Amino acid sequence: MATRSEPKAWVKKLGGVELTLVCLALLMALVLACTLAQVKLGTELAMNAVMRTFIIWWRPEGWSFSLPVFPGGGLVGGVMLANLLARLSYLERSRRKAGIWLVHAGLVVLFAGEFASALLQVESHMPIEEGQTRDYAESFRLMELAAVDAGDPAFDDARLIPESRLKKAKELRDASLPFTLKVHAYHDNAELTMRRPGDPPSPATAGMGTNLVFRPVAPVTVDDQANTAVALVEPVAPDDRSYGVFLLSNALGAPQGFLHEGRPWRLSLRPRRYYLPFSLTLKDFRHDLYPGTDIPKNFSSLVRLKDPASGEDRDVLIYMNTPLRHGGLTFYQASFGKEDTLSVLQVVRNPGWTLPYLACALTALGLLWHFGVMLGRAVKESRA
Amino acid sequence: MPARNGKIPLVKAALPLFLILLASCREEPIVRVKSPKETPVAAAAGTAPAAVRGPRWKTPKGWKERGADGMRAATLLPPGGGVEVTVIALPGDVGGELANVNRWRGQIGLPPLEEAGLAEARQTLRSRLGDVSLYEFTGGGTVKTRLAAGVLRLGDTTWFFKLMGPDAPASAARPAFIELLKGLHGDAL
Repeated sequence: MATRSEPKAWVKKLGGVELTLVCLALLMALVLACTLAQVKLGTELAMNAVMRTFIIWWRPEGWSFSLPVFPGGGLVGGVMLANLLARLSYLERSRRKAGIWLVHAGLVVLFAGEFASALLQVESHMPIEEGQTRDYAESFRLMELAAVDAGDPAFDDARLIPESRLKKAKELRDASLPFTLKVHAYHDNAELTMRRPGDPPSPATAGMGTNLVFRPVAPVTVDDQANTAVALVEPVAPDDRSYGVFLLSNALGAPQGFLHEGRPWRLSLRPRRYYLPFSLTLKDFRHDLYPGTDIPKNFSSLVRLKDPASGEDRDVLIYMNTPLRHGGLTFYQASFGKEDTLSVLQVVRNPGWTLPYLACALTALGLLWHFGVMLGRAVKESRA
Repeated sequence: MPARNGKIPLVKAALPLFLILLASCREEPIVRVKSPKETPVAAAAGTAPAAVRGPRWKTPKGWKERGADGMRAATLLPPGGGVEVTVIALPGDVGGELANVNRWRGQIGLPPLEEAGLAEARQTLRSRLGDVSLYEFTGGGTVKTRLAAGVLRLGDTTWFFKLMGPDAPASAARPAFIELLKGLHGDAL
């Protein structure tokens, strides 16, 4: 057995079981709060507000600032991680305690995995119709302004401007853009209607937006509702010629255009796209029912995966609990529509996805080891 | 500087955290992506979509035609690239003639016209379905842009045929476009 000096008092306190119990109680309260918050906020926002934050903030009605009201999941998880590491620093290093070491190490990996997910995981989705090929996934909430040079008959040359830039900037200039984009307004959510006689003039002076009016409303966050984002954008040539103010919205299907230096440009506001270095073609979507009922038995998507980089060209069947993992992404069967001709795949990029599996393996191994040690001791004692 | 007493100086310990915070505050970049055009749903050439009863036309020799796509009833592509003709049908007068003309002028960076200037800008072509109002404008810039738009009112629907592109190829495609407008006809023909 390795001899170790007595740990300092604060280390002992930090690694104490009392702190573990306090953290576990706080985590239970957070899980309950997060579950209740999902009703009003939706899954993603509730997770961000309660679990993936260090402090839970609350803004009383009419106040201009928020108050810290409770430790968030990040803080409780961080303290628990420190608690585990402090405990490990003075835990006896011996074969007898190796199982306990492994269990603690498994928990440390589990917490590290959750921090990695919170920081690095990106979730999106890919709605894809039968016969359609897609090489991008779309964000659930984030938008982007696409300014596309559509002059090439075979390719679209797009400049993608993230929502965060539209919200901050009054003027967008970039080396890749041959004109300036003036951003007159950006709203996360709005009610869009056709302009009726007597309505004030539309703020748009070009494109289909001249016949539309909008009213900003509070953004929605619950899972089954979508925001109608609106942007008022004015392309201006370097010689100060304006192409008019365009009203762009993800609710307007077709892009709107103008001609700059003889090339057609298309503007659209759309869900943010995450382009992939490979493509999926939906060959068949199946929605099987139990005979004589409307109860779903199985949802599955038969897709053709084509990856020019790896040379892969194969069929893959994606169904419940059997996702496709490729290129650091995981594609889950998530939803469907259009009379079973449209499949929606949830796309998750999580560099830390293996950590929970490693954590479970370490913990299971540790428990087995410790059980073996205890069993051996019990057998020995019974013989003595 | 080596750490004293084996302890890491606070500044050094905080450096990675500072760098992470700095990286997270950075503005998201504008990204450039080149991707193959998405293929629209195919439709029969020389006709508007089945849901909209409208004019028929003869696609000029050497031109390609793509079917309905979003708001467009058809897209015609003259040879050589860079120029396209769009066909759009909308209910009513879509805000009036002046508003539409000024919308097109805005698309090529020209200032709006006053009501008085509208008649001067208008040419009239005869087709078998009635008069087609034709407007032609050339925009500024290093490469001049040409726009020619034909407007045909059929019942409660207004049909817009619009040719746009760089001046040289658009001017080359213009005669065939004018012939297309003059040759507009109905189902009976």
